[in-house]
Amino acid sequence: MTTIRRFCCNDLLRFASVNLDHLTETFNMSFYMTYLARWPDYFQVAEGPGNRVMGYIMGKVEGQGESWHGHVTAVTIAPEYRRQRLAKKLMNLLEEISDKIDKAYFVDLFVRASNTPAIKMYEKLGYVIYRRVLRYYSGEEDGLDMRKALSRDVEKKSMIPLKRPIRPDELEYDSI
Amino acid sequence: MMGLFNCYVREYSFVKQQQTAIKMYKLVGEERFLLWAVCSIQLQVLCGNGGEKLLLLAEGLLKKHVASHGLHEPEALIVYFSILEQQAKYGDALDILGGKLGSLLMIEVDKLRIQGKLLARAGDYAAAANVYQKILELCGDDWEAFLHYLGCLFEDESSWASETINTPINPPKYVECKLTHLTDEVFDSCVENASAFVQKLQAEASNDSLRNPYLSHLEIERRKCLFRKNNDDNLVEALLQYYSRFGHLACFTSDVEAFLQVLPPEKKMEFLDKLMKNSNSLSVVPTRALGQSITLLKTQELIGSMFNLPVAELEGSAVQMAELYCKNLPLSKDLDPQESMHGEELLSIVCNVLVQLFWRTRDLGYFIEAIMVLEFGLTIRRYTFQYKILLLHLYSYFGALPLAYERYKSLDVKNILMETASHHILPQMLASPLWADLSNLLKDYLKFMDDHFRESADLTFLAYRHRNYSKVIEFVQFKERLQHSNQYLVARVEAPILQLKQSADNIEQEESILESLKCGADFIELSNEIGSKSLTFNEDFQSRPWWTPTTEKNYLLGPFEGISYCPKENLTKEREENVRGFIERKSLLPRMIYLSIQSASVLYKDNSEINGSLADPKISTELKALLERYAKMMGFSLNDAIDVVVGVSRGLKPYEVFGSDVIDWLNFAVFFNAWSLNSHDSGQQGGERTPGSWHVVNSLLENYILGKLRSIGPLIQSPQGDLPILVKLVTEPLAWHGLVIQACVRTFLPSGKKKKKSGSTDQSISLLSNAVRDAIQGLCSVLEEVAKWSQDQIKIPEDNKIDLLVSSLKRNGGAGKVFNILETLASSPNETELGDRISQALRSWSPVDVGRKIVTGQCRVLSEFRRICESKIKSLKTLKQQIAQV
Repeated sequence: MTTIRRFCCNDLLRFASVNLDHLTETFNMSFYMTYLARWPDYFQVAEGPGNRVMGYIMGKVEGQGESWHGHVTAVTIAPEYRRQRLAKKLMNLLEEISDKIDKAYFVDLFVRASNTPAIKMYEKLGYVIYRRVLRYYSGEEDGLDMRKALSRDVEKKSMIPLKRPIRPDELEYDSI
Repeated sequence: MMGLFNCYVREYSFVKQQQTAIKMYKLVGEERFLLWAVCSIQLQVLCGNGGEKLLLLAEGLLKKHVASHGLHEPEALIVYFSILEQQAKYGDALDILGGKLGSLLMIEVDKLRIQGKLLARAGDYAAAANVYQKILELCGDDWEAFLHYLGCLFEDESSWASETINTPINPPKYVECKLTHLTDEVFDSCVENASAFVQKLQAEASNDSLRNPYLSHLEIERRKCLFRKNNDDNLVEALLQYYSRFGHLACFTSDVEAFLQVLPPEKKMEFLDKLMKNSNSLSVVPTRALGQSITLLKTQELIGSMFNLPVAELEGSAVQMAELYCKNLPLSKDLDPQESMHGEELLSIVCNVLVQLFWRTRDLGYFIEAIMVLEFGLTIRRYTFQYKILLLHLYSYFGALPLAYERYKSLDVKNILMETASHHILPQMLASPLWADLSNLLKDYLKFMDDHFRESADLTFLAYRHRNYSKVIEFVQFKERLQHSNQYLVARVEAPILQLKQSADNIEQEESILESLKCGADFIELSNEIGSKSLTFNEDFQSRPWWTPTTEKNYLLGPFEGISYCPKENLTKEREENVRGFIERKSLLPRMIYLSIQSASVLYKDNSEINGSLADPKISTELKALLERYAKMMGFSLNDAIDVVVGVSRGLKPYEVFGSDVIDWLNFAVFFNAWSLNSHDSGQQGGERTPGSWHVVNSLLENYILGKLRSIGPLIQSPQGDLPILVKLVTEPLAWHGLVIQACVRTFLPSGKKKKKSGSTDQSISLLSNAVRDAIQGLCSVLEEVAKWSQDQIKIPEDNKIDLLVSSLKRNGGAGKVFNILETLASSPNETELGDRISQALRSWSPVDVGRKIVTGQCRVLSEFRRICESKIKSLKTLKQQIAQV
């Protein structure tokens, strides 16, 4: 009983049960609305009966040449709806949009190096740790850049892990 | 020109936006500029004063452009559809969707959703039903599609009702449906078709986790109940089947809530009994079995039969839950500390049961036990936000507001969450003496909202630039929704009132605040407008405890009523009336305070303009008009309201006639007195009525506050009690009265400009100065009593208070059984079973620390309150010295 559709502004008023969880960041309004204004197809919500927000994914598409890729900025599920493979569904949707509509080469995401449960989940979904970004989170914790190649990257070049960690200033994009 | 367009976007000048966009379109012929114009037209209709005829113009523009250039953006097509839909031209929209332009929509399901909606709105339900079938075949878990599918079969248009600005954010889970227009035969045939389709979906469901095909079956049975009223057994059976498949999921109760609602109470109980029998045959997988057990308990909670159970039985079930929690802790041994633990919900349910026990027995031990249970849970895993929310409400009720605020802060409520989640703390803080925290809370919230209102236009322009036209409309409507937020309007009134409270002991500071508030003129405007303004209610109440389902309701404050569950839906209507009344009344305050000060300040001065303020007659007339309005809001004429306050002050009427509006009545008495000082009404000269009205206010305040003090028990033994009302009395009516006194004393003091008074004036001054002297004396003694009471509470040794709390859990035959179970676990944790992390956490558990935090929290509230009282006493004593020199 999940309707997955584009996220809309009113969903910001419905997502408290998801965002009160300590691992989910509540960004400022211009952040959400920039995503909505620029990449509305990359911001999707899973909704249950009575417009209950079960979870959502937000992302974007950016880059040039073979770096043209989908990016997962946040994916989160309300505690009540966890352990039902809903995150997988949302990730698959974003991957499909990146692949089929925007013809991107890969999808990437950043995760805290300490967030073992999330890393495990992304690995199950086919993502590999592409590189480590030193002190990426507020200058304290390292981030892991994880990637999954899409059909356009036939040889899966985009996900061959880098050998050395990088600093945040070496990142190609502002990857939040 | 794009810059100019952006300027008009910033100004929300939709007409000028349209004109500029059309000019750009004519110059370069680009699709995007046409769409900018079309959006601007749509905004005029949806958010401005534009008539619906304008849509015809938008349609014409689009049609012409499509004929010559086609369309290239999917978003342009979506806007085109919405223009047609708003004019009910569904057929035209369907033709476009089926034509070449339809291929712009690349996601098949999106296209089908539009098609289904258009067909249904056009009344072609059979074709629409087929489309929704296709959607369900592609996305078997799409609940909304299934409801639309049923809506089509039953030819029920309510399924497609459009949203308005005040559509509730969380509509009832119970899906409204119309069935009365159907004959038996038609209904049966529809049900037959739907059931066959659902069976097919069930058979095709590739994985077990798809709940939709099974819930669809429940929805069909629910509609059968609604249509025939004799299908309860089938619905119960379907619910049991749903349990056997999905009973282990945390969302089970939320899934079935709407279906349970149609069952009569006895059938709900029958369902519960059958579920309980099931509890003997739980899954062999431990986590699954635990999930099933929790579901049973949550269903029991949802059915709301808890209040029927005898105390012993209820207590027994809380004990069982605590045992279940402890028994299953080892399941979480290897989990990451950030992951939710298995069985976490059990402690929330235990807390709910314990609060119910407290409400019924008034044994404080149960209340303390509820706090301990949640604190215990947070000791093991400090992230569980559900515990924090429950705790913040328990602490608020227990008068330990700093602790509640601490818990609130740990929820990291920021940005848009301030609009949806600050209801958890804001109302309590508004009635508290924690002014610095309250000020931050209000400032942060108002800053967030005002920042958004400022940025919103730029973000709208961003959507224009990126050709996401549907978002343009959405952003403007969303901004309007927030601007109409009831909470925002309340905060806008409360923030300056807080400033006025904070400076009330210093009339010069108060006057400069009033000046910055344009002497309250804008708030009068708000009060005038609020009656006709549409309000939005964006608070998310889902996570509130059952005993305080909305900000206005707290069952624990009243006697036991036999409730253990309260649906939080459909409460908006009642709230809307309350909030309107509240804002209407409260926004008069700044102006009334200003006029009262003026009234007392111009007492014996010339009637000429003083420092640009109003001249005497104008003040009196305006203040009288406001008093009339204020009285009317309380349901009385001015004269009747005066009779009421005079009657109560003389002991001819009881305080109970004020009802729950006691603060408003006392404010009224204060402002009435200020007006009397300077009133020429009924042929009376200023001052002649004065001693009488002074006496009214003094005795009302004195008697009421002292009465409250006499009845109030020690805070540590009587949660909530009358402390918030005492705080309000001192910081509102008493404070405003203090300002009137300060203004009077100021006029008595010699100044260079003062003219020689005539003999009759001297007499009046003497009469008035006596009245003011009495008032100062009276207020001083009241405040000293209050400060002494606070000090006495603070003085009780901390250890005694902690002992009192902890010993309430260790009495024979009362609360404490659940607590003992947790204590036993914590005293000797089995490290092999529980792992390092949990064992360590258990060893750090200290109920005495929890007790100490409560005591410290309560003391901080009392100290702040005492500080406020003492500041007022000091100010009054200075006035006393000054007046002695007159």
